[in-house]
Amino acid sequence: MSTSPSEALTVAALYFDGHSARAWPATLSLDGDALLLAAEGLSRRAPLASLRLSEPMGAAPRLITFDDGAHAEVRDHAALARLLGASGQRDRLTVRSAFDLRMVAGALALLVVVLWGAARYGLPWAAEVAAPRVPEAVVTGLSRQTLELIDEHMLAPSTLADAEQSRLRSVLAGRTTLSHALVFRHGGAVGPNAFALPDGTLVVTDELIELAGDDERVMAVLMHELGHVERRHGMRMLLQGSVVALFMTWYAGDVSSVIAMAPTALIQSGYSRDMEREADDYAAAALRAQGRSPALLADMLQRLSESADRGRKDGGGWLDSHPDSAQRIERLRDRP
Amino acid sequence: MNNPFENTPSSAATTTFINPFAADTAPRSEALVFSGRGGEYFGIWIVNLLLTVLTLGIYSAWAKVRRLQYFHRHTTLGGAAFDYHGDPRAILKGRVIGFLLLLGYNISFEVSPLLGFLVLGLLAAAMPVLLMRSLRFRALNTSWRGLRFGFDGDQRGAYRAFLMWPLLSVFTLYLLAPMWHQRMKRYQLDSARFGATRFEFTAPVSAFYRMYGVLLLLLLLGMTMTGGMVLLVIEAIEGSRELAVLMPIAVLLGWVALFLLIQPYLTARLQNLVWNHTRLGAHRFESHARARTLYAITFTNLVAIVCTLGFFAPFAAIRTARYRIESVTLVSAGPLDDFVAGQKQAVSATGEETADIFDVDIAL
Repeated sequence: MSTSPSEALTVAALYFDGHSARAWPATLSLDGDALLLAAEGLSRRAPLASLRLSEPMGAAPRLITFDDGAHAEVRDHAALARLLGASGQRDRLTVRSAFDLRMVAGALALLVVVLWGAARYGLPWAAEVAAPRVPEAVVTGLSRQTLELIDEHMLAPSTLADAEQSRLRSVLAGRTTLSHALVFRHGGAVGPNAFALPDGTLVVTDELIELAGDDERVMAVLMHELGHVERRHGMRMLLQGSVVALFMTWYAGDVSSVIAMAPTALIQSGYSRDMEREADDYAAAALRAQGRSPALLADMLQRLSESADRGRKDGGGWLDSHPDSAQRIERLRDRP
Repeated sequence: MNNPFENTPSSAATTTFINPFAADTAPRSEALVFSGRGGEYFGIWIVNLLLTVLTLGIYSAWAKVRRLQYFHRHTTLGGAAFDYHGDPRAILKGRVIGFLLLLGYNISFEVSPLLGFLVLGLLAAAMPVLLMRSLRFRALNTSWRGLRFGFDGDQRGAYRAFLMWPLLSVFTLYLLAPMWHQRMKRYQLDSARFGATRFEFTAPVSAFYRMYGVLLLLLLLGMTMTGGMVLLVIEAIEGSRELAVLMPIAVLLGWVALFLLIQPYLTARLQNLVWNHTRLGAHRFESHARARTLYAITFTNLVAIVCTLGFFAPFAAIRTARYRIESVTLVSAGPLDDFVAGQKQAVSATGEETADIFDVDIAL
C-alpha cells in the first residue's frame, strides 16, 4: 500500500473555503511543522501553530480551521489520530475526560462528593455570612408576604380578647430588647403552635396559649422563637433553600418561578437540628437572665409533645418542625 | 422560544455520502442525519455539570458551547456537519445580565409594588431588543459548509413580534395568540439567511389556528381528567392534616400530566408546520415528525429521568434530538455547492467579532 512513511499519513477530508458552500474533496498530510492540503486544482500549506483543531466528539467530524476562516472536515478518525500522533498534538484534559470511562466515573464520584460537601458545609456557611447583609426592606417584604400566605391558607383570626393580647404583648416587651411584633391567630388544624418570621414577627396560636396555662410558659416559647430571629435562622434557611431551588431548576433545565416559590419555601423548610439547639440555648440564657428556669421551656416541649401524640390526626403542630424533642427536653432540664 | 437554528437545520450524511461535484439539477431530498450517542454525550454532560458546580455557575457558558457543538457537529446534511462558534465569554456576559435583571425584578417587587411594576415595564421594553440580539447571535454563530447563518431582523419587527402581538393577544383573551405565534415565527425565519441566501416563511395564520384548536381540545380534555383527579385527592384528604402534605404532590402530578399531554403534540406539529412552510432560496424543507412518536419518547424519557434521579437526562436529550432532526429533509432545487457567503460576511472578517462584542446571548 504505502511506499513511504509520509504517504501512510494521508488523511481524507472535505475542504470548504469559507466563501461558498462548495465542498472540495482533499487530502491532508504533514510537511515538517506545517499541514499540507491538496485538492483538485487547489493546494495550501499552513504552519501547524496557525491551525485550530476542534475537540473529538465521537463520530462527529473534527474540524481543522485555517486562520482565514476556511476549514477542513475530517471523518476518518483513525487516520487523523495517526497524523496527530506524528505531530505531537494532545487534547485538553476536559476534552479527554469526557470520553474516558474512568474519567467519567471519577467526575461522577467527585460531583457527588462536591454536592454533598456544598449542601452540608458550604451552603450553611455562605447563608450565615450572607443573611445579615440582606436589605431590611427585603426582609420585611418577605415576612409580610409569608404571613399573608399563612393567613390565607392555614390560620384564622384569633379569638383571644384584645385586652389579653395587649397584656401578653407588654409582658413580652418587658422581657426582650430585640425588635419584634407579637401577633395572635387561631390555629385550627395547625393546633398549638408558634413561629417567628425573619423580620421579628412572632405568631402564636390561641391553642398554644391555652396549652401553656400561664404566661411564663408562653414567654419561654417566645424566647425560643426570638432565638431564631436573633440568629437569623429564617433568612438563612430561605437563602439555602433558594440556592438549592436555583440549582434544581437549572439542573432540570427550566429557569423561572424560582423566586416565586420563596415564601412557600420559607413555610415548608423546617429549621435544622443545629438551629433548634441554638434557639434553645438562646432561650435558656434569656430565661436565666430573667431569673427564671430553662425548665419552663422543657415543660412546654413536654406538653406539646404529649398534645401531638394525643392529636395525631388533627394536627401535630409545633413539634413537627422541631425534631428530637425528648433529647431537647433532657438538655434543657440538665441546666442549672 | 423556538429558535429556528436550534438542533434543526443541518448537514450531510455519514452513510449516504453525496458527491459534491454532482451537477444534476433535478430536485433531490437530502435527509438530516444525527449521529450523537447518549453514552458519549453523558461524558460531556457530567464533566460540564461538575465544572459548573465547582465554578459556581461560571463554567455554564463554556458548558453551553460544548453542548451545542456536540449537537451541531453530529448533525449532518449533504455530507457536511453543522458547527457552532459562540464565544463562551459573550454567553457568560449575557447570563450575568440575565441573572441581574431577574434578581433586580424580584427584589424590586419585594421592596415596593410600584418599583416592581416600573422595573417590569423597563424589562418589557428591553426584552424585544434582547431577543433580537439573541437570534442574531445564535444565527451568526451557526455554520454549515463553512458559511455562517445570519439574522437581519430589525428593532421595529422585534417590537411587533415580541411586544405588540403578545399584548394584543392578552387583551383579546388570547384569541389572537395563534396569530402572535405565526408573526413571531415569521419574524424569526423571514429575517434569517444562510450565507447570502434568504429564508422565506410562508405558513398561513389559519394553520396556526388549526394547530391551537386541536391543542385547546387536548387541554380541555386533560384539564377535565387531571382536575377530576386532583378533586378526588382533595376530597380523600379533606380534614386529615397528615395527608395534606400530599396536596402539592397531587398538584405537581397534575401539571406533569398536562405537560405530557400538550408538549409532544405542540413540538411535533409546530416543527412540521414551520419547516414544511419554509424555503431557503429555491430549496425547501419537509418535516414529518409524528406526535405519537414524540409522546412515546417524552413519556419514557420522563420516567427514566425520574427513576435515575436525572442521570438519564443526557440520553433523553439525544433521543429527542435524533427523532426531531431526522424528521427533517432538505428538498434541494440544485447543487448544494452553489450557496455563497453573505455580503456582510464577505465585507469584513471583523463582522463576527463585532457581533460577539455587542450581541449578548440570553437564554430564554
